[in-house]
Amino acid sequence: MVGLLVRLKIRLLLNAFKVSTQTAVSFVFSSVAAAAVALGGFAGLAVLRGQTEAVDVTTVVFAASAVGWLVLPLVLFGLDSTLDPSTLALFPLRIRPLALGLIAASATGAWPLANVVGLLGVTVGLAVGVLGVLIAVVAVVLQVLFCIVLSRFVTTTLAGLLRSRRGKDFAALLILPIFALYEVFVQVVPRLTAEGKITEKSLDGADAWLRWTPPGLAAHAVFDASTGHPLTGLLRLLLLAAIVVVLGGLWIKQLAHALVTVDSTTHAAAVNSASLRFGNRGLTGAVAARTWVYQRREPRSLILWGMVVVLALATSFETLRTDYAFGLFSAAFFLSVFAGVFHGNLFGMTGSAFGFDAVALDGRTAMRAYFAGSNLVIAAIAAPLSAVLLSALAVYARHPATGLLALSINLAGLGAGMAFSNLFSAVLAYPVQKRPGNPTPKPVEGYSMHAVGIGCGSLVGTTLLLIPMIIAVVATGHVVAALRITALLVGGAAYGLLIAIAGVRISARIAAKRIPELAQIAMQSRL
Amino acid sequence: MRAVAISVQGLWKRFGTKQAVAGIDLAIEAGSFAGLVGPNGAGKTTSLSMMTGLLRPDFGRILINGVDVWADPVGAKALIGVVPAEVRLFERLSGAELLEYAGRLRGIPAIEARRRAAQLLDVLDLAPDARRLVADYSTGMRKKAALGSALIHNPAVLFLDEPLEGVDPVSAEAIRRLLTRFVGSGSTVLFSSHVMELVEQVCDRVSIIDQGRIIASGTTDEVRNGRTLHQAFIDLVGVRAHDGEGLSWLGSSSV
Repeated sequence: MVGLLVRLKIRLLLNAFKVSTQTAVSFVFSSVAAAAVALGGFAGLAVLRGQTEAVDVTTVVFAASAVGWLVLPLVLFGLDSTLDPSTLALFPLRIRPLALGLIAASATGAWPLANVVGLLGVTVGLAVGVLGVLIAVVAVVLQVLFCIVLSRFVTTTLAGLLRSRRGKDFAALLILPIFALYEVFVQVVPRLTAEGKITEKSLDGADAWLRWTPPGLAAHAVFDASTGHPLTGLLRLLLLAAIVVVLGGLWIKQLAHALVTVDSTTHAAAVNSASLRFGNRGLTGAVAARTWVYQRREPRSLILWGMVVVLALATSFETLRTDYAFGLFSAAFFLSVFAGVFHGNLFGMTGSAFGFDAVALDGRTAMRAYFAGSNLVIAAIAAPLSAVLLSALAVYARHPATGLLALSINLAGLGAGMAFSNLFSAVLAYPVQKRPGNPTPKPVEGYSMHAVGIGCGSLVGTTLLLIPMIIAVVATGHVVAALRITALLVGGAAYGLLIAIAGVRISARIAAKRIPELAQIAMQSRL
Repeated sequence: MRAVAISVQGLWKRFGTKQAVAGIDLAIEAGSFAGLVGPNGAGKTTSLSMMTGLLRPDFGRILINGVDVWADPVGAKALIGVVPAEVRLFERLSGAELLEYAGRLRGIPAIEARRRAAQLLDVLDLAPDARRLVADYSTGMRKKAALGSALIHNPAVLFLDEPLEGVDPVSAEAIRRLLTRFVGSGSTVLFSSHVMELVEQVCDRVSIIDQGRIIASGTTDEVRNGRTLHQAFIDLVGVRAHDGEGLSWLGSSSV
């Protein structure tokens, strides 16, 4: 059973080469990244040798590895067939060999290997003497085993939920904190570390309680064995092994239960509202009402808004700390650009459901209403969201008035963003497909340049259309602040509205002639 | 003689090297319950997509109650309702919201759209699930929701692609009664299906399509010509002779 499931996992991984060039490239890239993480992790732990905070940092790294094992399988549930017990439920399998096989399957692949190699850096960084190294190797093995069993226990327990729509929605939303964390590690942590605001001492508090968790037991066992307390180290490892055994027992119990209770029903709850909003607003109101519902109920929409916020904050973070005005204007600009770019493929992102609309949409007037309804909802979310974010950033920078000036640029930018999103939806529509383990879809093979075109086009176009606003902000520097801010806010909003209206009219003229083609593109989307 | 509700003249469509539809001509009278049957890949869905304004034909003309679908899409789309084979719905709307949205897309005032939606959901036995999301509906429920959405504006002509696939027998009977009543009022239904028994029971006209061409068309009795429709279909389209040679291990008597 072990050999069979390991071969199955390897076959599933290598099938990336058979699916498409994109998946093959992704597999190679992922393997290279895993190798880099393995070497980086090993080196990162190894250089801690001799440092007083080595055990604290090691504990945090071990704990972070366990969190990764806990969260990623939830996000990748649909990707790895061996995670879902329902795929094995029809076969006559005994539980214990199956459990061993599933553990072996979990340990197979570039990333589990990278995890082991990276953590083995502890043999250089923390272990001292032969006994220390021996304990370190056992500690790493037990740590990885703990991570695998923990991950299996959680995914098996939640398997029924993760197969349901609600569970998938929940798992999809997990990408947001991961994405935010990634941005923090890439954009913020290196700068704060370089400035000396994050040091090894910052981890002191965390280690005080992390040392009693299973990853902490592993790290501190190595430390104890290397500092003349081998028995204490051994006791910690025994405790960790006992935890792994207990957790393994619980998992096997859950697995036995899951194999006879495979259930795909969603136990869906009813929604509160019986009808759609904006009942007296014609076709514009109908599209706005549907778009509004989707912004709340579709996890992809929530994720895109989260990404707009994270990206805008991340791209303006550095400048906000060195030049507050430029930082605030950058945030305002990127908030509007990203809001446009993420909605710049309206039909492709609507997917095959656009066929439902297309059998009713019939000409320029209808397409105007369609774009207008969609834009109204996007603007109704983007404008207050930008206002709140820019106000918070301005208060943080202690220049609230500049925040209001930035908001005026943002309002004009939102109009431009909407105009380009409509225009590109009509001109450069492309089908998208679900990405395994990622809730944001990617262009279907052959359409990548459409996505690049929409991104670059929106960026350049919005920048050009904002030039008059930037001139107005600069040229009114001598005017009384209250008057200046009021005039620019009203002017920015009016200018943005005019651009958006022009965008709707031009886009509707183009889209009305292409409804069948747009419908065919949308129906190629696999969401 | 009744007026022609659906007139298809010289319809052609090619995808790359594949000739999907190769010169279809059809004339379906108003008040007809017409069936379009054919094997997989025969061109049924492509033909229906072109008739409903979702796929631009290479050549040919389609008239719905005299309105040219491709010259006057505004006029034509107002006359038709469509239930596609691969049901494409807004999954995050509830059943009630979906039907209301379909009505409002067709210009029906919101209050009237809600009233009609409630009645259709009731007839289609979806009232208890009206507030559940379409994403949580079964295949049959989705078909019924799509049918309700296609009927809400009372179209003159209804196009259905495999309308009863995945629908339980009780619901199928309710749908059949609804469609029969719809046709009885003078409206027209054109539907494609693989289920010959169903076509035989409900359709007064049948067209058989194979490799993009209509190979038989007429009243159901004319096409059957004394046989069952199933047998007529097999005789006209041909059957792949393969009695499972090489599968000697298959079956209870084998070890």
